Amino acid sequence: MANIVCSHIDKAYGAITVIKDFNLEIADHEFVVFLGPSGCGKSTLLRMIAGLEEISGGEVSIAGRTVNDLEPRDRGVAMVFQNYALYPHMTIYDNIAFGLKRMKVEKAEIDNRVRAVAGTLGLEPYLARKPTELSGGQQQRVAIARAMIKTPRVFLFDEPLSNLDAKLRNHMRVEIARLHQSLKTTTIYVTHDQLEAMTLADRIVLMKGGAIEQAGTPTEIYQRPRTLFVAGFIGTPNMNFLDVTARNDGEAWLLEGDGLRFRVGRERFDIREGQALTLGVRPSSLSISGNAEGRENILSGLIDLVEFHGDNALVSFRVGGVEIGALVPASNRPKTGMTVAFSVPAESLHAFDRATGLSVLRDRP
Amino acid sequence: MTVSRILGKTVLYLAAFSAVFPMVWTAINAFKNRVDIVTPTPLFIFTPTLDNFAYVLGRESVAAGLVNSLLAAGGSVLIGALLGLPAAYAIARYPNRWSADIQFFVLSLRFLPPVAVAIPLMVIWLDLGFYDTLTALIATYTLLTLATVIWLGVPAFARVPKEVEEAARVDGYGPYAVFLLIALPIAMRSLIGAVAFAFVLVWNEFLIALMLTTSDAKTLPIVASELTQLGRDVPWGILNASVVLLSIPPLLLIGILSGLLNNAFRRKSN
Repeated sequence: MANIVCSHIDKAYGAITVIKDFNLEIADHEFVVFLGPSGCGKSTLLRMIAGLEEISGGEVSIAGRTVNDLEPRDRGVAMVFQNYALYPHMTIYDNIAFGLKRMKVEKAEIDNRVRAVAGTLGLEPYLARKPTELSGGQQQRVAIARAMIKTPRVFLFDEPLSNLDAKLRNHMRVEIARLHQSLKTTTIYVTHDQLEAMTLADRIVLMKGGAIEQAGTPTEIYQRPRTLFVAGFIGTPNMNFLDVTARNDGEAWLLEGDGLRFRVGRERFDIREGQALTLGVRPSSLSISGNAEGRENILSGLIDLVEFHGDNALVSFRVGGVEIGALVPASNRPKTGMTVAFSVPAESLHAFDRATGLSVLRDRP
Repeated sequence: MTVSRILGKTVLYLAAFSAVFPMVWTAINAFKNRVDIVTPTPLFIFTPTLDNFAYVLGRESVAAGLVNSLLAAGGSVLIGALLGLPAAYAIARYPNRWSADIQFFVLSLRFLPPVAVAIPLMVIWLDLGFYDTLTALIATYTLLTLATVIWLGVPAFARVPKEVEEAARVDGYGPYAVFLLIALPIAMRSLIGAVAFAFVLVWNEFLIALMLTTSDAKTLPIVASELTQLGRDVPWGILNASVVLLSIPPLLLIGILSGLLNNAFRRKSN
């Protein structure tokens, strides 16, 4: 087990820089998820830590040792690939044992460990089979077994669940979470799926364009997104955004836009008179309220779409040309064509400077 | 059945017939006496004879040619595979700015007409004192097999999933082990085709063998062609018999290789 330190990591392919000055410390036992849209550099970063990709600049250290010039085998890492990357010409048993054979572990010892790991992951019945005879979920379990058996200092997962169907993905996610609970191995997990990130991570590192957009616990990232990008990326359904301008009204800030006005206490936002802001409202913060006449902190409009989700329904309407979504209890959902007013509690509002995209939320006292 | 289907099938059967019949006819004629062959009405029913085969196999030149052919083709394919497979893998996996040029050069070895290189090669081997030796023949053929193996091997190795090789690297294996234990077995199916193709190519090679050998190192195609010059009449039966004999080794090789292949890929369980 080990901590990982990335300091000033750069990665360039020729003239194209994909990662610029990346800094991150990962504590021992920590489960860190690199989250971001495709092309944000998260997989490249993982591969640099694994030793599969050269590090153009900066330093990666694992357990206090600089590993920049070490082969993957000397870094004490094990990796699970998106497409499983099992050895197709070997049996499941040999797939799992392959790494140990290289380490010149004794045959009897290999056998014990393979059977133990296969037992943990429910793979005993398949040990004599070839990878192609297994389902996607089973193959992924073999890939995890192959990583586990080496008792690595660090686990690296590269979008391990994205080739599985939705049901299996949920199941495997839980298995990975359990595995980490029992093994406690330092883990880096790359995904573009925010649900995986939120449920698995001790800490999420949200990346965009090769740089960290925000790093923090799932709660921090959800409740206090640092930038407009983070706010838009995290949370399903997506956060609603409205353009507003700030106006000072004595004790409170008035945020006014096209046909809307919000009153927010001065302690929530750090803003100045006339600042152009983007207001962020999560669909789940909206709740149906009586009528809209002359009231503040209200979003109202003509419902043009109602999506039934089961317990909830996503209601869409337009405010000043912007599509707004509201998540309401399905039992109480309005019908298409109705005009409905939704109240928005001031303490659920987010606001971002329109020029910089940075949140203007004040630090908690 | 629609008209177009009937038409399609007819064309298909005609094509198949035109491809297969000459071979069948050759095989039949190999068992005929001369009179049965030269008769104006083609005969399907006749008293078969093994005289043609006995004649061909009884000649010392044929036995010597067979040994030479096996050594020349076998040796050049072996060297071609030993050098060509790693080369193909290197081109596929570690591309650099020369890779495309290397591949083009390798291909150019194949589309150069043999007649253009045969005479210079003959002069070179004469000067070196290796004319009419198996060494010269194997060295020359290796150029052909090497080119074929590399050209067909590159796409075979490129199809091996990169992640599988990376997994082996993370599992602790170096580049040579990854090549031998991972890439080679996974690409084997296509590679065996490449090797078999290289073998057939040099087994049937005529022109270069004709130029580089006179007596000691003559290969089977040369010996077979000489059988036509036996007398005034063309010895059809003997020619047909030698064609049949000549076709057997490549067929056997491909048969053995595909058998190996099936074994290698049959599941171990059940």
